[in-house]
Formats: sequence, C-alpha cells, structure tokens
Amino acid sequence: MKRIGLIINPVAGMGGSVGLKGTDGNVEEARTRGAVPHALDRARMALAPLARNTGLHFVTCSGAMGQDVLQEAGCEDPEVIYTFSGESSARDTKEAARRLLDAGIDLLLFCGGDGTARDIFSIVGRNVPLLGIPAGVKMYSGVFAVSPAAAAELVTGLETAVLRDSEVMDVDEEAYRAGTLETRLYGIARTPVIRGMVQVSKQVYEQPDEERVKGEIAQFMQEVMLPGALYIIGAGTTTEAIIRYLGLKKTLLGVDVVKNGRLLARDADEKTLLRLTENESDVRIIISPIGAQGFILGRGNQQISATVVRRAGTAHIIVVATPHKLQETPELLVDTGDPDLDRMFGESIQVICGYRLAQRKKIHQPDGQ
Amino acid sequence: MQTKILLDEEQMPKKWYNVQADLPSPLDPPLHPATHKPIVPSDLSAIFPMELIRQEVSTDRYIDIPEEVREVLKLWRPSPLYRAHRLEKFLKTPAKIYYKWEGVSPAGSHKTNTSIPQAYYNMKAGIERIATETGAGQWGSALAFATMLYDLECTVYMVRSSYTQKPYRKSMMQVWGAECIPSPSTRTNSGKAVLEKDPETPGALGISISEAVEDAATHSNTNYALGSVLNHVCLHQTIIGQECREQLAMVDDYPDVVIGCVGGGSNFAGIGFPFAGDKMTGKHRDVDIIGVEPASCPTLTKGEYMYDFGDVAGLTPLLKMFTLGHDFVPPSIHAGGLRYHGDSAIVSRLVHDGVMRGISYHQSEVFEAAQSFARTEGIIVAPEAAHAVKGTIDEALKCKKSGEAKTILFNCTGHGNFDMSAYDAYYSGKLVDYEYPDALIKEAIGRIPKVQ
Repeated sequence: MKRIGLIINPVAGMGGSVGLKGTDGNVEEARTRGAVPHALDRARMALAPLARNTGLHFVTCSGAMGQDVLQEAGCEDPEVIYTFSGESSARDTKEAARRLLDAGIDLLLFCGGDGTARDIFSIVGRNVPLLGIPAGVKMYSGVFAVSPAAAAELVTGLETAVLRDSEVMDVDEEAYRAGTLETRLYGIARTPVIRGMVQVSKQVYEQPDEERVKGEIAQFMQEVMLPGALYIIGAGTTTEAIIRYLGLKKTLLGVDVVKNGRLLARDADEKTLLRLTENESDVRIIISPIGAQGFILGRGNQQISATVVRRAGTAHIIVVATPHKLQETPELLVDTGDPDLDRMFGESIQVICGYRLAQRKKIHQPDGQ
Repeated sequence: MQTKILLDEEQMPKKWYNVQADLPSPLDPPLHPATHKPIVPSDLSAIFPMELIRQEVSTDRYIDIPEEVREVLKLWRPSPLYRAHRLEKFLKTPAKIYYKWEGVSPAGSHKTNTSIPQAYYNMKAGIERIATETGAGQWGSALAFATMLYDLECTVYMVRSSYTQKPYRKSMMQVWGAECIPSPSTRTNSGKAVLEKDPETPGALGISISEAVEDAATHSNTNYALGSVLNHVCLHQTIIGQECREQLAMVDDYPDVVIGCVGGGSNFAGIGFPFAGDKMTGKHRDVDIIGVEPASCPTLTKGEYMYDFGDVAGLTPLLKMFTLGHDFVPPSIHAGGLRYHGDSAIVSRLVHDGVMRGISYHQSEVFEAAQSFARTEGIIVAPEAAHAVKGTIDEALKCKKSGEAKTILFNCTGHGNFDMSAYDAYYSGKLVDYEYPDALIKEAIGRIPKVQ
C-alpha cells in the first residue's frame, strides 16, 4: 500500500486565460476578469484512473483542495488531515504540505503550477518525492508530468519508478507582468519517473541510476578540465557532482567559478563573473539544462549573461546532462537576451552524458535558423 | 535497363586477394601482450589452426579457395550486384549507384564468407569443436551454419542480455545444431569470476570473448574463431570485392567511389581491398574508398593510430590500429556490429596511408537513409548496412550538386529482419544521437604530458 499525499490548488491557472501571466496573490483580479478555475478538471483527469486503486491510500485536504475530487472519482474515504476555510491560499498549501509530511507519505501529488510547486517544496524539500499534475499558468519546473494522464500513469507505476532530480523554478510575476522574464531556481526536488529499459542491439541496459551517471560525467569532466583555464560552473546536481569530484563544495542553486582545482567564487553574480573573467584568456562554461523546457541559458542562471558567454565564446560552452534528462527534453533552448548570440549556437550542440560519452541535441532556433 | 548483374557459379573467384602483397612496406607486427615482442605462430596455435595462422601473416598476393569451400559458397554465391535505379531516381542524381547484396546468404549477412573457410580449416586440422562469442547473434549464427556443414560442434557464448532479449538469432543457432550459452556462464573461470561479482550482470562482448578464448585454450579438441578484425577474416571477405569488379566489368563500369560500413572492418575490407590493390598498383589511382562508422564509435575518424589491445581485458596481442582505447565502452547504438574500439590492422594501415578514408554519421540520419532505401529498393537493411547506405546517398547527392555522373558501389551487408525494434525506436523518436566527445579528449591529452 502506497500512501499518496494530495494537494490541489483549486485556483491554479486562473490568471493565464485573462492575461495575468500567473495567479499568485491575484485570484480576485482574475475572477473579475472572468477567469474560471480549471485546476479541478485537470485533477479529475489525473485522479479518475487512481481513485479506486486499492493499492493506494490517499491522504489529503478538505473540499476543493482534494477530498471533493477524490470522492467524486470513487475513492470512498480519503484521509483528510487538513481542513481549510474560505478561499484557499499559499498559506493553506504550505500548512497542508507540513501536515502531509508529518503524516508520512510515499509521494506528494499536487495539482497546480510553479507557484504551488514552490510553496510545497519550501516545506517538504527533498524529504518527499513530488509530482505535479500540470494546471498552472507557468510551468518551468521539472516536477510536472507532461499531462494529467501521464501523472496517473506514474502514480500507478510508483512501485517500480525511480527518482530523478527536478528543478523547482518560478518566474517573478511582478517583473513578468512588467515585461521581463526572470526565472529563479528555487530548489531541486525529487520526482518519480518510470523505470524504462533501453533496448539496444548488443545489450539491454537498465537505465543507469542518476547518481552513477553523474559520477561518470564528473569523472570525465575532471579528466578534460585544463590547467590554466577558468571554469564558470552553472547550477544543478549534475554540475554539483563535477565540483564534488574535484573535492570542492558547490552551491547547488548558484554559479561557481573554478580554476586550477581551486574555487575562486561561490554563488557568483554577473558582476563577479565579469570581474573574474576580465583578464582571463581561456574561459569555459559548464552548464546543464534547467527546468522542464530544457533551457541551457536564460532560465535560472541569468548570472551567465550574454556578455559572460561572449567572453568564453560559444565553442567553450560545455553542456552536461544525464541521459534521462535528455530523453525528456527533445530540444534544448537558449535565451541569453541577445538574439545574435543565441543564433551562434547553431542547430545542435554536444551534450556530455557519461564517461567519454556525448549526445548531439537539437537547439531550438525560433526563426528556424 | 539492367537491374541485377549476375555471375555464373563458375565465375566465382577461385582465390582470395591478399592486399598485404601490395602494401609498400610490411604491416607492423602484432605484439605479445606480456613481452611486447612480435608474436610467433606458436603463440596462436593453441586456439587457431595453422592454415589460418599462415594466412594471417602471408604476403602472397593470391591464396587458393579450397574446392570444398567453394562448393558450400555456391549455395548463395556469387551474390547479386544491383543497379539502384529507383534510388537514383528518388535522389535525382546523375550518379550510378550499385550495391552488392550479401543478405542472400543463409545466415543473412556477409559473415558466412569467413565462417565457412574457418570451419573448414579447423575440420582439416582435426579439431572437433569451435568456441566463439556473439553479441546480437550475426556471427554466432553464421558460424553455427558453417560448423554444421563440416560436422563440427559449435559453442557460442552469447551476451546474456541479447540471449534473453533477442531470441531469434539464438533460435537460428539451435536449428543449425550449435549450443548457445548465455554469457557470463559457469563453464569458464572468467565467466564464474564475473558472476561471483555480479550475478545479475547483463554481460558484455568483452566478457564473452574471454569465455570463448578460455574454452578453446583449455580444451585440446577445441579452437576459437573470430568474425572480424583479423587479417585472415578480411582475406576471406575479398571474394565480395572481386565479384563486384567482375560484375561491373560486365556492364563496362568501374567504381569511382567504394563504400562499406566499418566495425571491426571485415566487410569494408571485403569490398574495398581489391580496389585498394588497384589503387596502390597504379591501375586506378583515383578510386575513393570510404568506410562509414557511427559517430558514437568513430575509430577511423577520431581514433589514434597506435598499438592497442583487441579486447577490454588486455589479453589479446597488441595490434597497430586506429583505436579509441581498449577500455572505451561504445554506447548502446542499434548498429551493434559497429561497436568496436579498434579496427582491422590492415584497414587502419590503409586509412593511415591515405588509400582509404573514414567518415561518420549519427544514428538518426542513418535510419532515415535506410528508410529511403527500403522505400525505393525494397530491402530493409540491417542498421550496420544502413551506415553504408547513408554514405552512398550523401556521395550521390554531392554528384547531384556537382553534376558529375560518378559510379558509386556499396556493400549491402545484411538484412534487418531481426532488427525491427531498432526501426521501431526510430519511428517513435527514441533514437539517441550519441557521439564521441573527441575535441575535449584531444585537448586534454595535448596539454597533459603522457605517462608511460
């Protein structure tokens, strides 16, 4: 029996259809503009195949935050551990997450967007695996299943699923409404993925577990990192593994700088990066795609600005990622804010995905170039 | 408009062509793995019959094909040469495309061209059983067929994961009376050692090679056989290129470009060596001979020309060849037959000398080419052969651009009837375009002093 925690943010996604680019703290405005909640419909799609599954025990919140949809779908007595009143808010989401964490669950299934993911992650962190039923306006985070049906499939197969790292990201809605997209990386959650078998000609491998692959990538990078070159190393657990392999400690969510095996800066901002690279003749950037869409630059690592990238040169950008991450992102994206620079990345890029192993991945170029 | 160009059985070559005779200087010798001194025939006699050892080092230009071997080869040889009219039309190229179709052999590929003589010479030497390894099963089934014809027993160590996941090649071996064992097994010390460490191991070709060699070395009635890389294997395959030259002469043609896929190098040697000989002896100086390899295991295009071991464990003699390093484990691509860290010593030498050259492709573009071929010429080729198809299509498209009406010949080594899961992966968008990060590796090697 698997204990599934469920939190539905009933107002998630409302801002989208009425041009609010997000609903955080803006529900009234959205309603005034005529938005109707559709998060419950999305939750229904995901829960319909799950509610009667006798292998699952649901632990949830009252009314629209979980209980209603579950009962409607045929789950007779979900365990309700949090009761809310009035309009549900971020405070309710966080309190519900805290209670679910205390109650002990195998997975926290939630229905919402990046804001909901961020609120829940701020409470449960990496202690409980997270899986999102996509229903928000913004969904840059990697914790979401591709569809409500896919979320249901993952929960059904939870017994054999493996966990991978997934970024929790959010956009600054204020800035976004004002016209600038600023994505921040808030944390790295754990999310279940179906354990697949890779069928190949000579061998069948189980998809190697993420930690082992990260170790392989780190070992290879350590072998090819050159003395005298300055390395700007982006956020994420794959890049973190590289720095750890060098015997150093990385900021998980920040950008660090390494030269000759020494850490020159931790959690560096753009100014620091520009200062450190000013008199360097050989600058390299090691980055990993961030978030669900597969951005290698421009989301969650804006410190590595167009100016910083130009200082290194696009040929000196080393992209690293686990095969699993790459499987989920058919194309990589670049948005440095400088379209000419973005175009210099060309049609495809090499991504290191193992020891002496790489993949060629397409880069999405907006105008098809 | 002739499509098939056929030779009569009597026109089948009576000799293999040995390109070693036409090399400007002898090959660098294989070195003993322990002493690093050139190996002597007795080093190999525990696992190979003397005639094959003689062929391995021979510099005679031609070596007779025994009549008993020719009798068997006649079951499917001479193999047809096709003019790919429909592919040419589809590509709108002025080039003339010919392909040699080796998929007509009972086992479905060129591998039988060498499994037959290898089994024959072992039988002649009084050997009762042959041990070998196989990955996906092409070589294992070709050798099973050959040993049956000469009343030899055959033990095939098949990589365990393939044994369970790709059952039909195993079934073929059974039909032909061979014993097929999932490897690692408890039959050998090397197999037991691996199982002790990891009972759930999916196995690997390197492990299976160790098991087969150990089996042969520890049983006096048993020898070992290898399906590619070695000089005598390449020699046996030259029947392909010699037939092609005859067939093209029948339509007054000679290739400007000759193409084959490259794993260990034997089919490429088979179609390429006779033309390489013409090139080196000045008969046709301009023929372009191209080996097509996967971008994920680009031995000829990105490897180093140096002495290296033939296997992962470092037990085989050291060969001077293009290599990515014997510890390099190529990623899991569908053209499993092209996953080899090194290459035939002769192919390597000829590429090094500029007589032949290599190119590489990612697997999605290779399957796209295979689809074009299947939709024009009909044959669904094996993923390995698809590499040669891709190389051919690109050469033909170059002709379209330049307006040249070149004659392009490629070796279509086998059918893909057991590889449909690979095509499925292509259609479902699951093919991964692996590649070898050579720039990073070379830069690092260049800056760090070599440790001896």
